[in-house]
Amino acid sequence: MSLSRIGQDRARFKDIVRGRLRSDLRRYLTSSELFGRRGDHAVSIPIPQIELPRLRHGDGQGDGRGGEGGGEGEPVEGGEQRPGQGGGEAGDGAGEHILEVDVELEELAELLGRELGLPRIEPRGDRALRAAAGRWSGLAEHGPRSLRHFKRTWRNALERAVASGAYDPDAPLVLPEPRDERFRRKKVVDEPQAAAVVFHVMDVSGSMGREQKEIVRVKAFWIDTWLRSQYEQLEVVYIVHDAVAKVVDQHSFFHLRESGGTKISSAYEVLLEELRSRWRPEDWNIYPFHYSDGDNWSARDTERCIALLRDEILPRCNQFCYGQVKSAYGSGQFKKDLDLALPGEDKLVSVALDGREDVPDAIRAFLGRGR
Amino acid sequence: MNGPDGLPPRLERHRARIERMARERGLDFYETRFVMLDASEVNAVAAYGGFPVRHPSWRFGMEWERLEKGRQWGLSKIYELVVNNDPAWAYLVRSNSEMEQKLVMAHVYGHVDFFKHNLWFEATDRSMVDTMAAHAAEVRRLIDERGHDEVESFLDACLSLDNLVDPWGPSRERLKGSRRASGPAADLEAVLRRGRGEERRAPTCDVLGFLLDHAPLLDWERSLLRIVRAESIYFLPQRLTKVMNEGWASYWHAKILVEGGLSHAEIVDFADCHSGATTAAPGRLNPYKLGIELFRAAEERGLDLFRLRRAHHDVTLIDELVDEDFAARVELFAPSPGPDGKLRSWREKKEELLRALSNGAAPRIELREDDHLRRGELLLVHQHDGRDLDAAPARAVLDNLARLWGRAVHLDTLARGASVRLSARPASARRAG
Repeated sequence: MSLSRIGQDRARFKDIVRGRLRSDLRRYLTSSELFGRRGDHAVSIPIPQIELPRLRHGDGQGDGRGGEGGGEGEPVEGGEQRPGQGGGEAGDGAGEHILEVDVELEELAELLGRELGLPRIEPRGDRALRAAAGRWSGLAEHGPRSLRHFKRTWRNALERAVASGAYDPDAPLVLPEPRDERFRRKKVVDEPQAAAVVFHVMDVSGSMGREQKEIVRVKAFWIDTWLRSQYEQLEVVYIVHDAVAKVVDQHSFFHLRESGGTKISSAYEVLLEELRSRWRPEDWNIYPFHYSDGDNWSARDTERCIALLRDEILPRCNQFCYGQVKSAYGSGQFKKDLDLALPGEDKLVSVALDGREDVPDAIRAFLGRGR
Repeated sequence: MNGPDGLPPRLERHRARIERMARERGLDFYETRFVMLDASEVNAVAAYGGFPVRHPSWRFGMEWERLEKGRQWGLSKIYELVVNNDPAWAYLVRSNSEMEQKLVMAHVYGHVDFFKHNLWFEATDRSMVDTMAAHAAEVRRLIDERGHDEVESFLDACLSLDNLVDPWGPSRERLKGSRRASGPAADLEAVLRRGRGEERRAPTCDVLGFLLDHAPLLDWERSLLRIVRAESIYFLPQRLTKVMNEGWASYWHAKILVEGGLSHAEIVDFADCHSGATTAAPGRLNPYKLGIELFRAAEERGLDLFRLRRAHHDVTLIDELVDEDFAARVELFAPSPGPDGKLRSWREKKEELLRALSNGAAPRIELREDDHLRRGELLLVHQHDGRDLDAAPARAVLDNLARLWGRAVHLDTLARGASVRLSARPASARRAG
């Protein structure tokens, strides 16, 4: 039993639900739900359903047959039974808090894309996102003359002739009919060729407080979600820095709080080292995101940062994003310096965030170019 | 997957034993092939109505999605699935316990005996597994030729009419000596019938059959309509005998397992599982529960069970067996207040159940005139039995009917006691003339 056929049916159903196909069916779309349990909570599992219109009896009458929409080849024997569930629906009584679950990340990314009007990332040159390799190894019943598969066509004609008794070995004349014809078809194989790596670089010096980190966390999540929807393979590298920088795991990234000073160049050096050793631009689409409150150690260090960016990092990236989170202690000088030193550099995006409400705008600024 | 006969040796021994016990007790069934599948695969097959191959349709994907979510959240699971075919196909879920597998096997043999002998199944296509695969190939070919959206949209329009068939038609044709109700042979037969001047005419309940003979359809459209009608007719007897069929199978699985199919250690689990399947929430119809009660009541009265299972369908069996004595024992018929607050007696509840089950639970629609007002329009009449039609889908259905017929269509019915005529015209006059 292969699940691929039904998988195709499901994909088509989902496309209809999302409005990509067959918009004539959208008006029959309803959402029912199942009630499940996760831990101590009742959760609601949305089940989108499309019910084709059929003549049926109106409300309040249909209690004869328990559930299961009217008529369509519901296999009678396929009766679902709920062993030991006399009470049915586990405690979905009033007053209990019901969480909705099961929004898939893919869907979320799509919502995000639609909401913010994000362009899909354009494949460029040999760093295409997906490569569609094709070989003329498939067969179809319809096609252009020039692609007719002679051998298969004649074999079918021969089979038919033999089966119908028209074949005479002494006068072996076989004439193919239209229904015997077979055509070569390109079998498309999608190969995820390029992959992406995201660097989240965060300033964790004393001036970055809880709220600032929260903003970074929210942003990082949405950025990952979007990029994941665009690339088959997405790797994420976390770098934190105060006066020195290091690569950390996800948990530390969001929870670390150092209290040193700030030397941004340290982070850029670590980033560059990573780009040189592991994440080569030949193999990866590279997206560094840097979040800071914009308070650097010295003007000289800022110069060094700019030089690193201009000469080493930017040429290697698809896009470099700098998000400056406003904090009570930060001066916000770094963004000004950056914008001044690298004007018109279209791989560089810098954004200032005053609070959470700026997150959507910042995401649009970062991802809106479709690089 | 193991081959059709590739059950693990231990289960195969149980199967052989259960088959022998079933035959000794008088059951007579087609050869039955058990296939063992994972839960997710069983859901996929169930979404396809039990068939390994069906035509492409979002409907099956939707059903699979629903079943899979139920399974993943532990809310529902499918025990068994059996296809009316010769040989019959049945599926076992790999994760079930040995006792459950035995129960399912005995249950399945009950179903297959029922398929083979119940009168209303006589006319069904017994090579439906192949027929469905042929339908799938045909639909795929049409999709290749005409594009997915166009084919699917027409298929959906036909499906929305698929309950406009005559539930007793296939059996009647069968009794009249007509050979097959579906499949390529039916096409040939239609041509012959037309040659003999016997094509289906109004008045008839077989609206789909009428459209096949007379609607101005293109070849590919007619082909899809024929597929939809054949599949609908195939599933019809299952709708007409749901209570009986489940009751019969449950009666036999209980009998076979209790009379020696179980080991001592399994008795308690069996009782638990069996009572879980045959329990009904108050006021709700569980076909397993009602069905097994009916057959046990018949047994107590000394009736010939095998004859009952041959000659009846749900409505006649319930009508025959439910009396005051039976009603007193089965909660479903216990007096309870109706929507108007008045207490309803068992007799009224029986009436209500019979009405709900009649005509395969679908409204009775007759095609009265095929040349209404001499304008080539269709006039359908709803045989009102006290229950109004659901208006919103009814309009959409009429739109689809007009699309197939190419001219205006009308449906007479009652709404809140007043007579109403719903009408629809084809969206574009693409088939004028």
